[in-house]
This record gives sequence, C-alpha cells and structure tokens, in this order.
Amino acid sequence: MSKTYEYHKKQPGLWASAKGLFHREKLFKKAVREINFEINEGELVGFLGPNGAGKTTTLKMLSGILYPTSGEAIVLGYTPWKREPAYQKQFALVMGQKNQLWWDLPAMESFILNKEIYEVSDKDFTKNLEELVDLLDIKDILDIQVRKLSLGQRMKCELVAALLHKPKVLFLDEPTIGLDVVAQKNIRDFIKQYNQTNKTTIILTSHYMEDVKELCKRVIIIEEGKIGYDGDIASLIEKYAPYKVLKITFEGDGVKKADIEKYGEVYKFLPNSITLRVPREKARDAARNILSSDLPVDDILIDEVEISDVVRKIFSNNKLEK
Amino acid sequence: MIKKYWIIASNEVQRQFTYRVNIVAFAFGNIAELVALTVIWSIVYRSIDTIQGYTANEMITYVVFAWFFSFLTTTYAFEQNIARDIHQGTLSALLVKPQSYTRYVATVATSRILIALGIVLIQASLVFLFFQDRLIFSLDLPKILLLICMLVATYVINLFLSILIGFIAFWTNEIHGIYYSLKVFSKFMSGTFFPIALLPALFLKASYFFPFAYTIYIPVQLYLGKISFVEGLWGLAIELLWILILYGIIKIVWRSGLRKYESVGI
Repeated sequence: MSKTYEYHKKQPGLWASAKGLFHREKLFKKAVREINFEINEGELVGFLGPNGAGKTTTLKMLSGILYPTSGEAIVLGYTPWKREPAYQKQFALVMGQKNQLWWDLPAMESFILNKEIYEVSDKDFTKNLEELVDLLDIKDILDIQVRKLSLGQRMKCELVAALLHKPKVLFLDEPTIGLDVVAQKNIRDFIKQYNQTNKTTIILTSHYMEDVKELCKRVIIIEEGKIGYDGDIASLIEKYAPYKVLKITFEGDGVKKADIEKYGEVYKFLPNSITLRVPREKARDAARNILSSDLPVDDILIDEVEISDVVRKIFSNNKLEK
Repeated sequence: MIKKYWIIASNEVQRQFTYRVNIVAFAFGNIAELVALTVIWSIVYRSIDTIQGYTANEMITYVVFAWFFSFLTTTYAFEQNIARDIHQGTLSALLVKPQSYTRYVATVATSRILIALGIVLIQASLVFLFFQDRLIFSLDLPKILLLICMLVATYVINLFLSILIGFIAFWTNEIHGIYYSLKVFSKFMSGTFFPIALLPALFLKASYFFPFAYTIYIPVQLYLGKISFVEGLWGLAIELLWILILYGIIKIVWRSGLRKYESVGI
C-alpha cells in the first residue's frame, strides 16, 4: 500500500508569493511508500515511528478516509475505501487530536446519536454503555458539555462513543497524546482490559514508548513510509540492542573508572553506582568476573536495554536494515 | 433510519440554543437590507408612477416579499461549515461512520436555520404591519400551497448550492472568494433586490438558464398575480428539475472530491 500527497513549495518573501499566483512548483510527498503487513484477529499491534513517518496515514487508509495511491488492503474481508456500511459498523477509529463528540452538548447526546447511526439495539446500548461507563468511571460527567471536560475526560468519552457498537477492529491514533501521566495510565489500562475481555483487534499508534511497551506484544516500526521492523517487542530489543546492561552498586567509597572499564563500556558513572554495556553473550561472564574480583560489589543486576533507548537509536540512525 | 436524522436535528437545535447571543444577532442583519431597498424605491417613485408595469405599491410589495422569501430560504452561509469540515479534517470522523455525509449535513443545515426561521417570521409580521397601507395582500389557498412548495424547493436549491460550494474546499484552501462572488451573482439573478424584468433583455434571457430566477422572482410574481397559477406550476417544475440536476452534480463532485481529500490536521 502506498500514498502520495501533492504540495507546493514557496520561497520566503512577498515577491515569491506573487510569483506563486501564476506558477507553482508541484511536489509530491510519499507519505507511505510500501507497507505490507497482516494482523490477526484479537491482536493488539503498535505502530511506532517518528512524526511524519506515515503511521496516521496508514490508519486513515485502513479506515477508508483516504484512498491509497496504489496497493490494496483488506480488513475483515472488506476494502476500506469503498466505505461499505457493513464494514463501517464493525470498526471504530479514535483520533487523539480530533473529536467526534458534539462539542457543545453533553457526551450522552453523541452516544445516543451513535446508537442510531450504528443501529445498536436498546438492550445492547444500555448494556454496553453501562459496562464502558463503569470501566472508565465517568458516570458523573455524561451530562456535562463536552467542551467543559478536561482532555482526559473527553478522551474517555471518545472511547465510549467509539465502542458502543462493539467494533471488531479498533484503530487508535495517539489516544494518549497530551494527557498527564495518570490519565495516560488510565486510558492504557482500559485499552488493555478491553482488548482482553472483548478480543477486539486493536491497532494503536503512539510515540509514547510506555503505551506500546505496556500494551502491545507486536510492534510495527514505520519510518519514512516504510516498515522498518515488524515483530515481537522482545526480539526488537534483541535485534537492535546487541548488548545488555549491568547495573552495579558498590560499597564504601566505590571504585575508580579505570578499574571497571575493562569489563565493558561505561555508560553511566558514579563511584557507587555504575551502568555498563556488555555484549549480550558476554553479560553473564562479565557479571561473574566482577563478582569474583576484589571490587567492593554490593549488588549487581543484569538488565535489558530500555525499549525507548532502542527505538530512539533506530529513529536517530534513520536507516534501518531489514 | 428516520430517528437518526431526528436526533441529528434535535442535537443541532440544542446546540444553537447554547449560543443565545447568536440567535439575537441574526435578527439585526436581516432587517438592514430591507430598510435600504424600501427607502430607495420610495424615493424613486416620488417622481414616477410606474416602472415596467410596477406601481409604487407593487414595487414595495415585491421588495418586501422578495426579502421575506429570501430570508425564509437562506442557508446562512452553510458552505463555510462544509469547508471547515474539509479543511480542518473534521470530515474524517464523519466519514468512518455508516452514514451519508451529504444527508448528515443536509439535516444539520436545515435544523440550524430553524431558530432563525422563527425570528424571520416574527420580523416579517412586524414589517407587514409597518407597510400595511402599501402592501398588496392577495392570497387564496391554492396559491398559498403552491408558494409553500416553491419556497421549499428554493430552500433545497440553496442548500444544494451551499453544499456544492462547500465541496470546492476539496480543491482549494479558501472558498470565501468564490462564495462571495456567487452570493452576489445569485442575489442579483434571483431578483432579491429588484424584479429582474428591469434588467436588459439579454440578462433576462440569460437568467432563465440559471436556477436563480425560479427561486425568488417567480414566486413573488406569482404572489403579485403577474403570472398565472399554471405558470407558477411550471416554475415549480423547473425548480424540481434543478434540484435533480444539482443532486447529480453533488454526487459526482463528492466522489471525486473524496479522492482529493487529505484529512489534514493530524
């Protein structure tokens, strides 16, 4: 699947603007180049990538908002951009920076409208609404104008509006953007629980590492419109971080940098607490050697590199080997 | 199905009520135009008895009713709402739902003007009262029914035009220029300011190739008794034809517009 946008360049200044009235340089941006993937029912997959990588564009094509420039996609057996009601009734899209709720009215009015649009029966509506409201703990805010709600409260209402018709597939585009840590965690916990109890297939984009780390077993890294990595979050670390981290604490006055350097690359240094990077296969030996040396070791911990470090490295390296 | 549109309509009316100041603000703009027109014609008729077959009272009646009909059938620049949906990407959230965007906006647009409609009716009664000595009142039941049908058709034409102009936003970043020009052109060609019979013959002929003359001019002519009931029926038929044509154009433009849609704003 690929998508190309058309845009214009303008040199700075008034004269350039005037020239632009008559002649404009047409440019094309390939937002999504070649993206190929398959997602199974009930999976919770994370799209990761820097701004402008093509995550949102991909989601928009999958939800039928955009036509791809080339290629095809099949979701639940439908081609999304044909926008067949039978497909539309089975998925939902939540965009963290857009809202579907009626801004000037309480969220409840939007829920009632969605009930009609998605043709949800009275019984299911009452049941689903109760369940969601309970889970998100938003009973008190249903009758307040949406624009008076905080961002976190609004996001919860957005989720309710999107889930009332029990979609089989849920696209979440930056659902935690702009939220404080507590609100982020609430939304995250909710998504996790919802995915487990309802077996909904969820694709999530985010540039918050926490979201992806907590929620997704599988990640797809999109970069410059291409897939850089598609697989287990655990093997992502193995593949892109060929070393482990040793966190060692020392007793008394600690150690000198020179004494510890031979065991591995010193990443963080304080006399009493040192972080070393050691090649994956040598991690165990290094730990054993440090313990059996005469350094005043208090504690030693072998750990994986933080996933955010791995991703940061991937993003800053720009080019990904396949 | 019907219930869906009923809820959209009720939401929109509720929404309008949250902007109470806006409702009152409608009332001022409406009347200013009429004052200007009646003043001008009153001055003109001081030195002349009839213009193109219109007596002074007929002209005032024409102007008052053209004003009344045009404010009964305006969409109050609904094209701006559509352009906003497209430019700000709010269209995206509406597109993913199993609903027709065109029907959705038609419902919103229609319920949006309900309150303004109430205000126009109150204003109009005051205007009729004020001009009662100079206005010609000539109505019977068939004429009332025909006029209502014509005005409903006029509203639908205006609504469809608004939707079409709004859709231009798929291709350009700004529709104000086009909107403004077309507004002035349509007000002129529809005879909102004065009977188009006063125009040079060429304009008059040209005006019959656009829908505008049928939206205001013909209904007012019917009211004044300057055309027969049967001619009025013909006018209505042509309006219906235009509705069909515009509906077809909307379908085509919508389809190709969507292919251009970029869903911007994240």
